[in-house]
Amino acid sequence: MADREMRGKEELYKKMAALSFTEKIRILEKLRDRELAIAAAGLRSKTKASGDTEG
Amino acid sequence: MKETLEVINQMQADGVIGKYAIGGAVGATFYLAPAATVDIDIFVALPMAVGTSLLSLAPIYHYLKARGGAVEHEHIIIGGWPVQFLAPNDRLEEDAVEQAITTSVEGESTRVMSAEHLVAIALRTGRPKDHARIVQFVEQDAVDRKKLRGILERHGLISKWTKFESEYLGGSRG
Repeated sequence: MADREMRGKEELYKKMAALSFTEKIRILEKLRDRELAIAAAGLRSKTKASGDTEG
Repeated sequence: MKETLEVINQMQADGVIGKYAIGGAVGATFYLAPAATVDIDIFVALPMAVGTSLLSLAPIYHYLKARGGAVEHEHIIIGGWPVQFLAPNDRLEEDAVEQAITTSVEGESTRVMSAEHLVAIALRTGRPKDHARIVQFVEQDAVDRKKLRGILERHGLISKWTKFESEYLGGSRG
């Protein structure tokens, strides 16, 4: 089972590595937007949490 | 990123910078499966200012700020991407810029460091994320071992590579 999962991941990495640079950059941009959204959400919840304690 | 590269190419055409090469995680993405990153590392050859032997990144920042670039810590935001400009620190990084590969993103021309230079620089930098990236290069067979060995020898990195191999690659490769 673990071997099959590992092979599947390797296949996926190979497929993604074979994409054109333009396609990979588009993926990078999506990953970056997601990371920034997660970071911003974390910041929002921290601000909210600190606001709660202050109230 | 097309817009980012357009601005950098224009800056090069205007003589603010010489040759440049994308390094770091974005550079590695040329060869590997994409891995999340939030910035772009651009290594630039800088024209020497008249009357001084010092290299300065200031002209880049002046140029870009005059065209709406916003500075955030060590980055400048161009086309939505935080870009860090780095002057080559030594011969290895100078070679990496000089010998970079020409490619394009959405039709915009750009240059990316060779896989072997990216690995050599990552080996020398030596943070955990650099080590992880080297393992990816090796596992995905994205590096020319003979060419890598030549670069490592030329820049005094063979002993570091041997140690890296024994720790992370089972000591039998390369």
